[in-house]
Formats: sequence, C-alpha cells, structure tokens
Amino acid sequence: MGLPSQTLVPDPAAETRDLVARAQNGDGEAFGELIEAHYDLIYRAAYKWSGHRSDAEDIAQEVCIKLGNAIAGFDGRAAFSSWLYRITLNAVRDMQRAKSRRSRQADALAHVSPQNGPAEQEDAATASQLWAAVRQLPEKQRDAVLLVYAEEMSHAEAGEVMGCKEATVSWHIHEARKTLRGLL
Amino acid sequence: MSDDMNHDPLKSLGELKAPAPSERARERALGAGMAAFEAAKTRETKKSAAATQGTGWGRRLTSIIASLKGNWIMDLRLPIGTAAIALLILPLGYQLYTTTSMTPAQGRATGPAEIIAPPPEPAPATAEAPAANLQASQPAPVPMLAEESRANAPAAKQEMAPMRDALAQGGAGADTDFEAAPMAQDNAASAQRPAPAFGATTEGYADLMAEPGLPSIIMTQPVEPSGDQFTPFDESRLKVVADEPVSTFSIDVDTASYSYVRRQIEDGFLPESDAVRIEEMINYFPYDYAAPEMAEVPFEPIMAVYPTPWNSKTQLLHIGIKGYVPPMGEDRPSNLVFLIDTSGSMDEPDKLPLLKRAFGLMVDQLSANDRVSIVVYAGSAGVVLEPTAATDKAKILGALDRLGAGGSTAGAEGIELAYRLAEEGRIEGGTNRVILATDGDFNVGIADPEQLEDFIKAKRDSGVTLSVLGFGRGNLDDATMQALAQNGNGNASYIANFREAQKVLVEEGGSTLQMIAKDVKIQVEFNPAVVAEYRLIGYETRALKREDFNNDAVDAGDIGAGHSVTALYEITPVGSGAQMVDPLRYGGEGAAGSGDEIGFLKMRYKLPDEDVSRLIEVPVTPELVHGDIADVGDDMRFAAAVAAFGQKLKGSSYGAMSWDAIAALAQSGRGADEGGYRAEFMQVLKTAALLKPDTCAGEGCR
Repeated sequence: MGLPSQTLVPDPAAETRDLVARAQNGDGEAFGELIEAHYDLIYRAAYKWSGHRSDAEDIAQEVCIKLGNAIAGFDGRAAFSSWLYRITLNAVRDMQRAKSRRSRQADALAHVSPQNGPAEQEDAATASQLWAAVRQLPEKQRDAVLLVYAEEMSHAEAGEVMGCKEATVSWHIHEARKTLRGLL
Repeated sequence: MSDDMNHDPLKSLGELKAPAPSERARERALGAGMAAFEAAKTRETKKSAAATQGTGWGRRLTSIIASLKGNWIMDLRLPIGTAAIALLILPLGYQLYTTTSMTPAQGRATGPAEIIAPPPEPAPATAEAPAANLQASQPAPVPMLAEESRANAPAAKQEMAPMRDALAQGGAGADTDFEAAPMAQDNAASAQRPAPAFGATTEGYADLMAEPGLPSIIMTQPVEPSGDQFTPFDESRLKVVADEPVSTFSIDVDTASYSYVRRQIEDGFLPESDAVRIEEMINYFPYDYAAPEMAEVPFEPIMAVYPTPWNSKTQLLHIGIKGYVPPMGEDRPSNLVFLIDTSGSMDEPDKLPLLKRAFGLMVDQLSANDRVSIVVYAGSAGVVLEPTAATDKAKILGALDRLGAGGSTAGAEGIELAYRLAEEGRIEGGTNRVILATDGDFNVGIADPEQLEDFIKAKRDSGVTLSVLGFGRGNLDDATMQALAQNGNGNASYIANFREAQKVLVEEGGSTLQMIAKDVKIQVEFNPAVVAEYRLIGYETRALKREDFNNDAVDAGDIGAGHSVTALYEITPVGSGAQMVDPLRYGGEGAAGSGDEIGFLKMRYKLPDEDVSRLIEVPVTPELVHGDIADVGDDMRFAAAVAAFGQKLKGSSYGAMSWDAIAALAQSGRGADEGGYRAEFMQVLKTAALLKPDTCAGEGCR
C-alpha cells in the first residue's frame, strides 16, 4: 500500500482507517503518513478560519502536535475527518483566544480584514467584506457557516464536527444569516 | 432551510482558495506532530496497558462527569421542584446579567463589545448596589480601581503589563472602566458620568474587537500592523568634512533588526522605518574577513574604498572587522542562567515552544565544565532548575519541557533571582551570563526602567552579563531589549523561527557567549583635502560624541569571538561634483588639510578583564581605492547591497536604487554562502519588491 494520495477531502475509506488503527498501535510510520496526507486539509481549513497564512501554519502545526498526543484516544465513533475538523476548530479558537489576551493585538485586525493582507489574498478581495463579517460571527455561527459553505459539508456532517444536531447547525446558520442581513 | 434565495452570497465562501503553505512550515508541523506522537507513545508505554485499549482520556472524563451527575441527584435528593425553579431562574438571571451589562467585569475581550452595544440604561439594583454607590459617588476611584484590577483580575493584569510603557494611561483607564462602569450605572442618578469612560474603553480595546458578537464592522479600521516598539531615530545626515571632520560611533553586533524586518516582509508587511537599522542588517550576515592571530589584539580592520552603487560620483569607505576566534581546544567554562518569560502571551507556537527547542539546541552545545540554571517570571515565578552541570542534559531538557505559559501572577524578583543564581554558580575566568527570553513583557521585578538598567549595569561591573532574546510579534519591546542588552554587555537577538534560533545559539553560540573585547569604539577622521562630505550609513542609535572616544567611562558595544562588524561611509571626494553642500563664499574656516590620505581610522577597545582601553590606528590610504565595484570582494558588494536595501526600505533621503539593481548587486556578491543566508536575503528582497514596487522600471528611476 503506497502513500495515500493528497486529496483535499480525505477519503474516509479503508486506507485512512487502516492508518489510524496502525498509528493507534504505536506505528510511527503510519502516523507520519496520516498527518502528511491530512496536512493540506488542516492547513486549508485553518486558513479559511483565520484568514492569515502564518496563523494557519501555526494552527496546522498545533493540530499536528495535538494529533500526536491524542490519536490513541480517537475512538472511531465519528469519521476521522470530522474528528480532525473538530481538533482544528478548537485549535483555531484557542489561538484566537490566546491572541485576544494580548494587549495591543493589532495583528488580529489582519485576520478580520484580509484586504490588508499580502498579495496572496487577492482572489478573495471581492469577497473580503463577506469574509470579514463571517469571521466576526460568534464562534458557533461562524463554524457552522464555514463548514457548510466554505467546506461544503452537509448540515449533518457539520453537526458531527461541531458535536451537535443537524437542526442546531441549521439554526446557527439561520442566526448567522440574520446577523449578516445587511451584507447579504 | 432558508437557502431559497436566487443567489446565495454565502455560496461564494466556497470559492476561496487558501495559498499553499510554505514547505518549511509544513515540515516543521509534520516534525512536531511526529515528536508529539513519539512522546505520547513513550508516556503510553510507561503507563499500564489499560490506556492503549481504546479508551481515550476524553471519553473517560465524560463518563466520570456523567456518573457524578447521577450521584448528585440520588445522594443529595434535590427536589424536582428546586430544579425546575432553578431552570426558570437561570435564564432570567442571565437575561438580567447581560442587560445590566455587568459581563465586562469579567474582563475578557468580548467585554468591551457589549459595553458599547447597548446605551447605558438605569438597571435594577442588584445585591452589590450599596457597595457600588459608595465608590461610584466619587469620581476619584479610577486610579484606585486600576490598582485593584492590577492585583485581582488576571486577564486584565496580563493586558496591562505590556501596555505600561506607551499606553500606561489609556490602558489603566480602559481596565478600570470595566469595574467603574457597571457600578456607576447601578447608581442610576449618576448614569451620565461613565460616558467619557466608554470612549476610553473603545479606544483602548479597538484592536481586540476581532472577537465575535460585534454589532458593527466600523471597528475593523486597519491600523499599523505591529504593536512592537522601537527606538525612534533619524537617519544620520550628511556631514561636511570642513565643519565636522571626525565621526565617532560604537560598534553594534546585534542582528535583531534584520530578523524582525525579514519576518515582517515574509508576512506581507513593510516594516516601520524605525525597525530598520541598517547596521544590524549588514551585520546579520557572516563575512569572511581575515581574523587576527592572537587574543591581545582581538581584531584588525579591513578597509576598502569603492564606487557607491547608487551614486556613481561618490564612494563607499568599507570598514570591516572580525573578532579573534580562540582555538578550538580552549574551552571557556560558562555559567548560564536562563531567565524565561512565561506570561500568558508567550503561549504561542513561535514563542515558548520555539524557545524551548532553541534552548535545547544550545544545551547540546555545552560541555562538562558549563553550568545551566533556569528561572521563570511572569506566569509562574521561581527557580525551575538549580545550577546543573551541562552534561546532565536529561535534567535540563526535562526542566525546559515542563515550562508552561499561563496565568499572570507577578513574578516579582525574577531578575534578582536570576542574578543571585548566576553569582552563586559564578565561574571565575569563565562566562557568567543571564539570558533573558521574552516577547516584550519586561515585568521582571524592577518596574522602573532606569532602575532596571542601573541594576544590570552594576551586575555587569561585577562580571555577570546579560543577553536578551526576543520572541514573537505584536508585543515586542525592541527599545527595552536593546537598552538592557547594551547595559548588560550582551547581545539582543530576535528569534523568529527555528532556523534563526540555530544561527544565534549554535552557529554563533561562541560569539554570543564569549566576549573578546568590550567597549569597542570607532573614530574616523577625514582629510578635508581629499574628502568633501561624508555620511555614516546606519549606526544612528550608536552615535557617540567626539570626546567620548577617549573617555573610558563611556560604554560602547562589545564584540564576541568570531563576530564580524561592518561599517560603511558614503564619501564624496573633493572635486567630484557630487557635493550636496555648496562651499562657503567667504571660506576661511576649518583646516584645509594636506597629503593624499583619505582619512584616519582609530579604534578603542578594552580586553574583557581590563578597564583601560587600548588603541588601534590605521590610515586610510589611496592604495585602498578600487576603481570599479567589481574589483572588490564578494563580501563588500553584498554589504553594499544590504545597505541599499535598508535605505530603500526606510525610504532614505540618500540614494535610491531600483529593486532589480539591488538584486543584481546582491547576486553578484553572493559568494559561497554557506549558511544560505544570502540566498534567503534574495527572497526577502523579491518579496519586498512586490510589497513596495518601484514606480517606474529601469535606469530612469535612479
């Protein structure tokens, strides 16, 4: 079995399950393959949530470390990708909280206003106002909106990541729409 | 769902493509993940086999809570009615709690947002009202409350500390308002008073507004991208030789400025101009100057004069010195005390975790006759590791590993403790040094900056030196860093990533640790018969008065083993036609000068254990002049390119080169580039060119 291909959406198929099982049994090589295959997914999600490349890289690293610590505790009740998203989202939140603790956190503005960012974000310039607004939503609403629209998950899948019911996800999105009404 | 609009703008969220992660970050992350995995595995095998049977800690934890819950109801026999009432009261209480805007008293970043949102309204009296009345009825309590919040609220405290220099007043005001505002509101009659305070709150916290729940987007006004502080300075001006033939400055072997500038540029920001110190940028790169043979004359100047790349009519006087490198066998014992900031703000991947790995690297370099101790301040205070022989690596690394960032109890006597340990473990004839690692929180126990500098100076005179390593961004207090390191006869370095840590602590470990000469001053006297005008590039923050040169009491920069230091003067030869200053009509002042020497270089230094300075004198003769910049060594061309880069970043008023021309010059001076630093500089240069494009291309812009 070769390296799993580095697809954006991880295959929840046997390969990943197999790697997870081997990693849980202490196989370092399998764990290496596992995070290598999922690094892009983690990083891209972190980028969407934080809007800042260096933050995204830091978050991705944090997630890799957390995975190393917690893979043994993964119980397979949810899909591995959902679990991964949950860890990533937690890391995003931890980071943003840690940042906001700092006194003059001018840099935080960089991630709510991507138009100030480097050229790499030019693609997003048109949608930047929307992104800025979405990233300012309360955490739950933001997570729901980004999971469903940026990560293109179904409400049920998003619910699995967020650890709530499908209907709750729908409600968060509804609330988010209300908050964003002026912009949409 | 409500997705039934014709065009759903939220759909466009799916279109954002994240830029590719940098390979370095990716590798770092994967490596860190692997390390964590291995560490977890080791822990796991040490424990009983139970843990590997698929029950993660998360699940076990929930089950404990669940069973506790069950027991509660059973054992305490809570009447169902009480529970029902509680259910009713809780939301009500919450409602009350939020509408009376008392939430901010808890002080986290969401706080100010909620203060701003609802207009102040008289709220129903709460249990605290009488007490509040007492305080709110006098306008005075503000400073007192500030003190209180400093002592009580950990979150508030943490935000206070780094702010204290620049924003001391605004910051104190903002924190106090959290407490003052709700109290004053409870006293309905005085509801007007807090109004100005709200203004202060919004200002103090405007940059924290990224938190959710914000009703308006007005807050997202962009401000300058960094909260770091730098000593402001003006570029050194052009001097006329007839008026001021002598130029004096202290050497500077720090490199913090380049690391900082590089990081800013890599992240897509142009650094503020005070952050660009050209001499530190030039000195960041290793240069292959010939090193002297013996420790008594620890360095020899290498000089050359060549045409200025940005002005064909002027010339650059290049002065390079390299410190003596003791032979390998000579292992000077070191006694190192790490003084580590563990405030909550250090809890970021590029701070404490990076610091741990960096010190791990350094410890690997130490040998049996070295000693290490660790003291922490801010988050938790105290001695983490008593002086330990460097061979006991497991113990040292274990102590480093256990460090955690968090909390914000004042680590009062952090610095005194560190110096006490350094003195207890003092090694006569060795290096005794405190290494302070921080992200800008200098709350080391001595609050008054002057007093702190005096303290460090006194300790320096007793033989214990101080180096400062800066981490992270947004909070970095570069000015204090530099001041402390200079007073402590040490270095200030900025550690942006693991590679940088390796450069500072391993490759330059020798020079960072072992001082070979101190108080090194340079004085150049120009010959008015040959040179009309001159300008020192960089070293603005290191300028000395002419009379300071011979005064041994005046402190100056120190040089470590193998350090190289470069200084550049742009000189305008007499009769070149490039003079910026017109000659005086009535002339007659100053010495006319004679001879064909360009100038005269004098350097003063003290050997590490001496208090009387020694002097090196070398004339700058016409033989040093090269007609073409292609004739000088790679190192000199590269240094000139870095100077041009620095000047361009600063928006210097002298000499503009196009990015392409700078890149070409740097490329021509790349040389062997063993550490890859010059290649990296080329990348930084390219990125900077994108961030601040030349307005027109080609020669015409010059």
